[in-house]
Amino acid sequence: MNIENTQSQMRKGILEFCILSIIRRGEAYPSDIVEEMKSANLHILEGTLYPLLTRLKNADMLTYRWVESNSGPPRKYFSLTQKGQSFFRELEATWNELANAVHTLANKTDSIPDSTNQNPSF
Amino acid sequence: MKKIININFHGRVVPIEETAYEILKQYIDSLSRYFAKEEGREEIINDIENRFAELFSERLKKDATCITDADVNAIIASMGRPEDFDQEDMAPNGNTQGTESSKQSSNQQAKQESFTAEEPRRLFRSENDKILGGVCGGLANYLRIDPAIVRIIFTLITFGGFGSGLLIYIILWIVLPSRSLAFNIRKRLYRNPDNRVIAGVASGLAAYFHIDVWIPRLIFSFPLILGVFTSIFRNTWFDFDPGPVFITGGFGGTLFITYIILWIVLPEAVTASEKLEMRGEKVDLESIKNTVKSDLEGFKSRATDFGNEVKERAQQFGTEFKQSTQQFASEAAPAVRRTGSGIGHAIGVLFKAFFLFLAGVMAFALIMVLIGLLFSGMGVFPFKNYLLTGFWQNTLAWISLVLFLGIPGIALLTWLIRRIMGVRSRNHYLGYIFGSLWVIGLVSFFVLVGLLVNNFRTRASVEDEVSMVQPASGKLVVKMTDEKVSYYGSDWFGFNWDNDAPFYSLREDSVMMTTVRVNLVRSPDSAYHLTLVKFSHGNNPQVAKDLASRIQFSPKEVDSTLYLPQGFAITPNTKFRNQQVLVVVAVPLGKRIMVDRSIDDYHWFSINVNRRHRGWNIDWNTDWDDAFSWDSNVEYVMTKDGLKKMSDLREQSDEDENKGNNKPKSEKGYRYKQKSDSTLQKQKKDNQKENSSTSAWFQRDASDDMRTNTSVSTGKSDVDKEDRPEAVNFLSFVSFLKKF
Repeated sequence: MNIENTQSQMRKGILEFCILSIIRRGEAYPSDIVEEMKSANLHILEGTLYPLLTRLKNADMLTYRWVESNSGPPRKYFSLTQKGQSFFRELEATWNELANAVHTLANKTDSIPDSTNQNPSF
Repeated sequence: MKKIININFHGRVVPIEETAYEILKQYIDSLSRYFAKEEGREEIINDIENRFAELFSERLKKDATCITDADVNAIIASMGRPEDFDQEDMAPNGNTQGTESSKQSSNQQAKQESFTAEEPRRLFRSENDKILGGVCGGLANYLRIDPAIVRIIFTLITFGGFGSGLLIYIILWIVLPSRSLAFNIRKRLYRNPDNRVIAGVASGLAAYFHIDVWIPRLIFSFPLILGVFTSIFRNTWFDFDPGPVFITGGFGGTLFITYIILWIVLPEAVTASEKLEMRGEKVDLESIKNTVKSDLEGFKSRATDFGNEVKERAQQFGTEFKQSTQQFASEAAPAVRRTGSGIGHAIGVLFKAFFLFLAGVMAFALIMVLIGLLFSGMGVFPFKNYLLTGFWQNTLAWISLVLFLGIPGIALLTWLIRRIMGVRSRNHYLGYIFGSLWVIGLVSFFVLVGLLVNNFRTRASVEDEVSMVQPASGKLVVKMTDEKVSYYGSDWFGFNWDNDAPFYSLREDSVMMTTVRVNLVRSPDSAYHLTLVKFSHGNNPQVAKDLASRIQFSPKEVDSTLYLPQGFAITPNTKFRNQQVLVVVAVPLGKRIMVDRSIDDYHWFSINVNRRHRGWNIDWNTDWDDAFSWDSNVEYVMTKDGLKKMSDLREQSDEDENKGNNKPKSEKGYRYKQKSDSTLQKQKKDNQKENSSTSAWFQRDASDDMRTNTSVSTGKSDVDKEDRPEAVNFLSFVSFLKKF
């Protein structure tokens, strides 16, 4: 077992949830999303964000519109669709459950009750 | 100092350093390879490019004159490289050292994964990189080498191994599944312009194979060196100049042509990335740094990991084995089902292969025809001195030989190599050049033919009455002299013509023509007459007549045998204008004649170029058709009804003899002699018939009709009968002397 592998697996699982929770708040530009995550102490490569956004868009979770920009070509601003919102709520519920469970499990300090003690031999 | 180019990047003109552009292009390419299987590939890349464009224009607004390497690298670093995407989805912003170390170890892990955790490499046929069935493309992908190399090897096996390569190919075609494969090599054959002697082919090859430049150079120059040495050797031992043998001959020629073709086919590595591609290095500096770093640091950790890994592997193996047996069981069932459709697929493939084979055979036949044309062109070429007059005709002949026949050959070879190498030409000018050169060749060829046809427009004849000594026995034998003419063998450019050609013994200074025919006619009086009719073509009657009169053809008479020369010589001065000699022998009534088999060695054809039959019309001449037909080695007698075979007459006369009729003594004696070897004669005749059936082509004589010959104006010979014995004695004496 490799610690790196496990870590990246954990991160991958929540990445979509993090992105959706940023976009939920309003129209977002990809580089803004990166900045937002960075400020929350989550570092992400911009290059990994684009494919994720495209995948979510193709799954009708997201929609976008072009906004003219004075600093270059027009920008794509992403926002949640109806479907995306319900998807996000489901994820949120699951996350809360998981977080609770993980939190409870990780913070328990008492030792596991010994099964041999619990079931004394007859 | 760096070159700055302007690129149109998402609708904006961006000034960018050329090297930076290369880095950018490489990066985009690596992305499109990475997302090859992604559904929204175009969109993803488009978004990323868009972001690049935005950042570029921001940079340019801040007083930057152009986009530099550093700018591009910075953006790429924030974007992340494809190889980082899998591992670095998100990194917690812990202490910086932690990220650093995790980055390194993740790099190392990435390297490990490429060896261990990557999906097991499987052999597929390539769907996107194929010429026939994608077998070579798939193999190259599997082995991670240039498909061109696999293709060249396959071609070599096919040609060298009696088609076994083709068999292997077809089997692999049937067996392997097809799949679209990502391009996994960054290595291609280029010509290296930085280090070259002629065109940089050798150094390009050296860079590709990571060998020293001198190795391919030596191989290419080997035939040259060898040729020089052998020419020295030959010049000292034999007085013989091999000429450009080292270029045209065998092995050396192959290498020479290979070099030329690689020169034409391979692109020159001009840009920085092309040069890197030539050496097969991954183009981004980052990855080189990574591999070096991970090699050094990975070594230590790998050593410690090794022990753990072995343990893990042992466990893994146990579970994997169980899994794989289960997997096999589950896969076997659909595999059986698939076999049915597999057979259908195989039949389809076999059909495809069959049609390709047919196409290949046709292409091969075309090539052969072309080569044949080229060779015959070369073969006739030494003959040009006899055919052509003047500078212009010679020039035209050269042009049409080189361009009309040579260009298609070179073009074909180039096309083949290009197809094999999978190189697409960037520009079409080569095709245009080939095409226009060929058209020039075609035009000059037609002009040349026109000029030549003009040379054969008119035909004229000159008649010579040759005085004859009347044979004593009442029988004349016509033979070809067996005396050796000082012409060397008929080995004409490797073809053994075996005297079958109408002109043989071709040399620089003269050609032996054998366009001679013997015609037998009835003599108007009681004496044998010999008339030589010499023909020639020319562009006007005077020239034709002059050329005809210059033919040297003098028969000799010894005893009662007429010896005809083996042929007549024409020189580059007299030119070849289809000179012919017709030997007309007039046989008086009741006298006998025999034409020896050696006369069959003559050939006769005529070239007919007139208004009625435009063009180069060679047909076997049928004029002088009022002569009698004859077979060689058969004795004839001239009767009122024409020539009669002696053997037919003899049966008749045998009947006569039984009745008690007497024949003249001399004839009787002769007939007796004739009888003794008549059985032999018959055997010979049987052989003769087989021969004459083949030679009948050359002597399609006129019908056996009885018309007397009027077209030959035979002046009466002044030879007196009294002079005859002396003359015969004299001649035999001369021939006797000659023998010593």
